[in-house]
Amino acid sequence: MIERYNIVNNRYLLKDLGVLKHHLAKYYSVVQIQKDADGEKLWTEQFGDKIEPLFGHNHLPLTSPKGFLFAEKEVLYKFDGETFKTILPQVQPKVMFGVQACDLSAIAYQDKFFEHDPYYQKRRENILLVGIDCESPCVTGFCVQVDAGPHVKDNTADLVLSRLNVDDANGSSEWLVIAATEKGINSIKGMTLDKADNKHLKLRTKLLEKVRSEFVDYSYISNAIEYLNNNSVPAQLWEELSVRCLGCSGCTNLCPTCSCYTTYDVVEQQPEKPVSISREVKLEVTKSETIRCWDSCLFEGFQKEASGHNPSQKAAQRVERFWFHKFSDEYLPEFQRYGCVGCGRCEQTCPGTIGVHSVMKRIDQQCCS
Amino acid sequence: MLQLTPQTIRIVDVYDDGSHARHFTFEPKGFVHDNPISIGQFFMLTLPGVGLAPFTYTSIPDKTGRFNALIRNVGHLTEKLFSLGKGDVLGYNGPFGRGWPVGLIKHKEVLIVAGGCGLAPVAATIDYLINNGYSKSVTLLYATRDSASQVLKKERTRWSSSIKLIETLEVGGDSDHSGLPTQYLSHLLNKDDQYPDIVLTCGPEAMMMAVANSCVDLGLKTSDIWMSIERRMRCGVGLCGHCYVANSYACQQGPTYRYDEYLALESKTVAFEKDKVLFQYC
Repeated sequence: MIERYNIVNNRYLLKDLGVLKHHLAKYYSVVQIQKDADGEKLWTEQFGDKIEPLFGHNHLPLTSPKGFLFAEKEVLYKFDGETFKTILPQVQPKVMFGVQACDLSAIAYQDKFFEHDPYYQKRRENILLVGIDCESPCVTGFCVQVDAGPHVKDNTADLVLSRLNVDDANGSSEWLVIAATEKGINSIKGMTLDKADNKHLKLRTKLLEKVRSEFVDYSYISNAIEYLNNNSVPAQLWEELSVRCLGCSGCTNLCPTCSCYTTYDVVEQQPEKPVSISREVKLEVTKSETIRCWDSCLFEGFQKEASGHNPSQKAAQRVERFWFHKFSDEYLPEFQRYGCVGCGRCEQTCPGTIGVHSVMKRIDQQCCS
Repeated sequence: MLQLTPQTIRIVDVYDDGSHARHFTFEPKGFVHDNPISIGQFFMLTLPGVGLAPFTYTSIPDKTGRFNALIRNVGHLTEKLFSLGKGDVLGYNGPFGRGWPVGLIKHKEVLIVAGGCGLAPVAATIDYLINNGYSKSVTLLYATRDSASQVLKKERTRWSSSIKLIETLEVGGDSDHSGLPTQYLSHLLNKDDQYPDIVLTCGPEAMMMAVANSCVDLGLKTSDIWMSIERRMRCGVGLCGHCYVANSYACQQGPTYRYDEYLALESKTVAFEKDKVLFQYC
């Protein structure tokens, strides 16, 4: 395992988050949550000098930062007619500014999964993670139930930001800045920051307890996890739930831990000698590239073999597979946590209303009755 | 770090072998196999401009690095592959996965049940057993739909003089050798002198499961039965996610599974009533 987090835990105080962001922007290109034209909050790279104000430490953005590490689509290698050449991504140092605890837990999960993937790691090495503690539960979030939040977990970020108090009179805040790694410490070199002490850490813990207490009762999720692992969810329930799965891949695309991909080849067109890749024409490829892109285990053809044999032919099998991968104890030895970080994005996006809350509620209701 | 980029191989020999199946010989171009390859492992073949898919070694690389694969023309990628010939260049990644338990099967009575193109992944095992003086303890039951579907004719001819080879046809066999392999199996296993210590099976999944269950019914332990599971794959190294069998990946813990391990994996997920699928030899 790559040791990224040499725990150092230097603590500072900061009045204006903008100062930190502008300091980091000198060395990193800034990626943060930003509203698009429709008001949707998305993880977006900032260009030029303009740095938008921070959104999101109370509201989860629709997208996670996943695509900045595990690209939605990227070239793996090229064929020049004779040999294959690896195409690693060309990356600039980036700071992911203000990543919530759930998404940081997901990045830590993917760090393990993609530990030996050169494309992922090339991006990852160049990313500074600035985490931010959530100050209240978000609409669909249940991070407390899956040990992923609401405060940034240890060993998941380089810098951690935690707002200790807000002065309503002048709108100013006081932030605790924890430099949790060598990389984090190096990133704030040159800044003049006051040292924080144990009193400030205690305040952070107190605020954490307050936020935790504000979460509604999500015990149906814990119950359902238990039923899933007892294998006591009847096939019939999966059949019923799967009727509502459109195979749209909204859940897997937005899920910050989903990592399945497929590959496809693109032939480099040569104007003087067009090459068809239709079934009838003999292969005359001289140059091509192989691309990988996100795939979804909910797609009917995900496991379908050339012979037509499909081990997960039924939608019910595929829906069950998705939840097995998120909540099975079988994955704990490898990842030390569940594949679900409790962000609830699947619930937000699923057009068939079989996101995590709906499914876990159904399981809890049916299995306990 | 993992290497996802293929190395280059060249087709050096091709001949037809059974209906819609072809025997390919590949030669490494500019590289030597750096890992010892165990029998029953697989490799990923890349057709530039088309895609990549997993295939089995019908023979593992010789001293020159050449190796063979018996491939059936069954999908988009293999259709393109069949349009290629000697000298054409392809991509190669491998070896991947876990092979047959070769160390366990020496000195044992081995029954191999292969269906259709499922003979390819066990071919190197049969050669290994014959070449190492274990041929007397090997029985091969080879099942196909009809005689046109039989593959590896040269190999079967070679083997027939040293191992016990039984061929069954679903259609067109004589009265003793027609029908499904499971029907023949009970006949075979009821003879005490041929009772196997270990069973290797490869073929359509439904056939393998039927064979394994028949063997269990006839008194074998699930831990004495091994099977090679086919799955769609896009990497071979446990990343793309396609080849899952519960919490295992066929490209890592498989493609060879011991039946009791496979059953344990299956038991972790819900057993759905499968739509009735008639298995097809591939």
